[in-house]
Amino acid sequence: MVRTRTKTAGKIVALTAASALVLSACGGGGTASTEAAPVATDRDIELSLVWWGDDDRASRYEEAVALFEEKHPNIDVQTQFQAWDDYWTARSTEAAGQTLPDVLQMDLAYINQYASNNQLLDLSNQVGVNLETGDFDEAVLASGSVDGGQYGIPTSTNTLGMVHNDDLLDEVGIDPPKEGLTWDEYDAWLREVSEAGADSDPQIYGGTDYTGALWMFIQWLVQQGRTAFAEDGTPAFEKADLVAWAERTQPLRDDGVFFPVERSKQVEPLTGLQVNQAATELVWDNMMAGYAAGAGTENLDLLPLPTGPEGSAQFWKPSMLLSSSATTQEPDAAATLIDFLVNDPEVGKIFGTSKGVPAVPAQKDAMEIDDGSIDDKIVTYEDEMADRVTEDTPLPVEGYGVVEAEFKRLGEELAYGNITPEEFADQWFQSAESTLGGE
Amino acid sequence: MSVTTTERGRSAGRGGVRGAATSSPARGGAAKPPRSRADTRAGYAFLSPWLLGFVLLTAGPMLMSLYLAFTDYNLFRDPQFIGIDNFTALFADPRFLKSAQVTAVYVLVGVPVKLAAALAVAVLLNAKHRGQGAYRSMFYAPSLIGASVSVAIVWRAMFIDDGIADQVQQFFGLPAGGWVGNPGMTMPMMILLAVWQFGAPMVIFLAGLKQIPAELLEAAAVDGAGPVRRFVAVTLPMLSPVLFFNLLLETIGAFQVFSSAFIISGGTGGPADSTLFYTFYLYLKGFTEFRMGYASAMAWVLVLVVGIITAILFRTSRAWVHYTGDVR
Repeated sequence: MVRTRTKTAGKIVALTAASALVLSACGGGGTASTEAAPVATDRDIELSLVWWGDDDRASRYEEAVALFEEKHPNIDVQTQFQAWDDYWTARSTEAAGQTLPDVLQMDLAYINQYASNNQLLDLSNQVGVNLETGDFDEAVLASGSVDGGQYGIPTSTNTLGMVHNDDLLDEVGIDPPKEGLTWDEYDAWLREVSEAGADSDPQIYGGTDYTGALWMFIQWLVQQGRTAFAEDGTPAFEKADLVAWAERTQPLRDDGVFFPVERSKQVEPLTGLQVNQAATELVWDNMMAGYAAGAGTENLDLLPLPTGPEGSAQFWKPSMLLSSSATTQEPDAAATLIDFLVNDPEVGKIFGTSKGVPAVPAQKDAMEIDDGSIDDKIVTYEDEMADRVTEDTPLPVEGYGVVEAEFKRLGEELAYGNITPEEFADQWFQSAESTLGGE
Repeated sequence: MSVTTTERGRSAGRGGVRGAATSSPARGGAAKPPRSRADTRAGYAFLSPWLLGFVLLTAGPMLMSLYLAFTDYNLFRDPQFIGIDNFTALFADPRFLKSAQVTAVYVLVGVPVKLAAALAVAVLLNAKHRGQGAYRSMFYAPSLIGASVSVAIVWRAMFIDDGIADQVQQFFGLPAGGWVGNPGMTMPMMILLAVWQFGAPMVIFLAGLKQIPAELLEAAAVDGAGPVRRFVAVTLPMLSPVLFFNLLLETIGAFQVFSSAFIISGGTGGPADSTLFYTFYLYLKGFTEFRMGYASAMAWVLVLVVGIITAILFRTSRAWVHYTGDVR
């Protein structure tokens, strides 16, 4: 028995063991600020490259890497990929041990945390040497900069939009939403569809609950000409704003207008739209490709988000960035690889819109797109959105990933009816206070 | 007649063994032969693989986590000592309390149900039937694969809407809709998964049942005790050491449930935190929010609680566990 107990205690702390082992390696973390020089061609270089994503993305990356190795025969790229959650677990452990990969896919939600803890390489001095950024839109490129340093290079852009499935709308006999409708009009439209779809089998709903998406809330603030976070990394909005946001959609939840949360938890990682039960969803535009595959129809299209009383401003968000580790031994080669992945037209052809619309025109123009295809709709949407995008990307603050997850979780509690809009706001602020605004 | 002879033969045998034991010099205990220093060194040398493993992989990390529990370590920055702030924060954290509650329900309901199922099957398998060996293997099989990731995935698929459970419910006209998305039904689902893996305690019960002398049950039967009475008055007390062992093991095991909850909830502890088990919340705090100090504090609270519960079980066991040869 005693032996069992000891073993138990051992198991319990096994989770914390990793942190203990890496702790000794902790502590350094100065940014390598060596002079950038053209990448060496006279010696063998090994680089590591990691990304999150599925098998489809992996095969595209492998294809791109093979092309890179062909052009740089002395560089060997070791690749690795994980799903989103595991990816960040692995990266945080590596960061603690100062062993981040040479080149890593980065997300806007985490770049601040990694950059301000000196984990990432400032790529500014590589610009013009191994890395060309001349073709980038300035606002898009700025999304990869933190405190004046360029810690990430955006690969592609997206913006929020409303995907609608016209097959479902035909079935219930309701016209697609009109461009320029307001949030209140959208809510009324949702109600109409859900009522008409109540007798379909399976039941058809107007849309899914968007209250738990922090980006959507930020977008709502941006339309009012406000920002979400202050300079010091704390929320720039009040509890009352959050209560108002949650209360807006409360009648829809009370009346069962949204695709039910019980169902959406069960079809995860798919969504209501992908299982052909929700006629619309508010999402990042590049997700439509995956949605079309899930729903099994090409009869999808994109509309801009509903507009608020004060306007319809939207913003670009880099769908993902590429960063390099502060501890890389090969900053020149790492920058060369990033340059290749964001600028080379062949790479644009390989990835298509699967990561979003390429940020660099050369890559965008290289894509082979059929008229009327989903890719075409996404590119057309972004072209049309260009004048609606009037705001800079609201840059996530340090700890954003954590408070975003909390926002989503509380949104679910709200959907289950376990908490009220006031409790939603209270609990989120409680979590934000202990997470945001650190040093 | 035959009963008495076996009884006599057995006690004679026992006496013999006992006699041998007492006469052995090692048990005399009067004069310990002095151990040479070389022997001691050799002893530790042979122990060293285990000792090294224990110090480096168990004791070291445990001590480190004890230290981290009093810091704000977040994987990125060096730990700063913050006293007992983590512990006070714990008890003000509604999700911590929720995770403690979820785990308590799982332990308090899951363990007794699982043990009852294991004992019931063990009793059935203890009876003499043809093909008993095959039955034993079959009943044990779920435990071989039960803790695996694949079974958790299958379990989720079974209880999702339009899964097997849902179709059976619909057949009987019960309200359907799947268990996975319903916060009220995920705990029964998790407990069922645990109960289904009753193989390990079942085998131990079976071994215990085999140890109960048949003559005790026969004597009780001769005195007119029915099957229920025989079970309650003879089998259970004779089985109590085994029952205690299983109870302890299963209780400690239940506190540590993690992987099945991780997979069934898709790594969130949802829906609505209904599968937010203690170890799972600890993992979320440590590895998705990177709050290692907080997670370490949680780990130590768990060690303490499991320790206290184990101590309580040992204390109460004096009242209900009977060891053969106990003098009371």
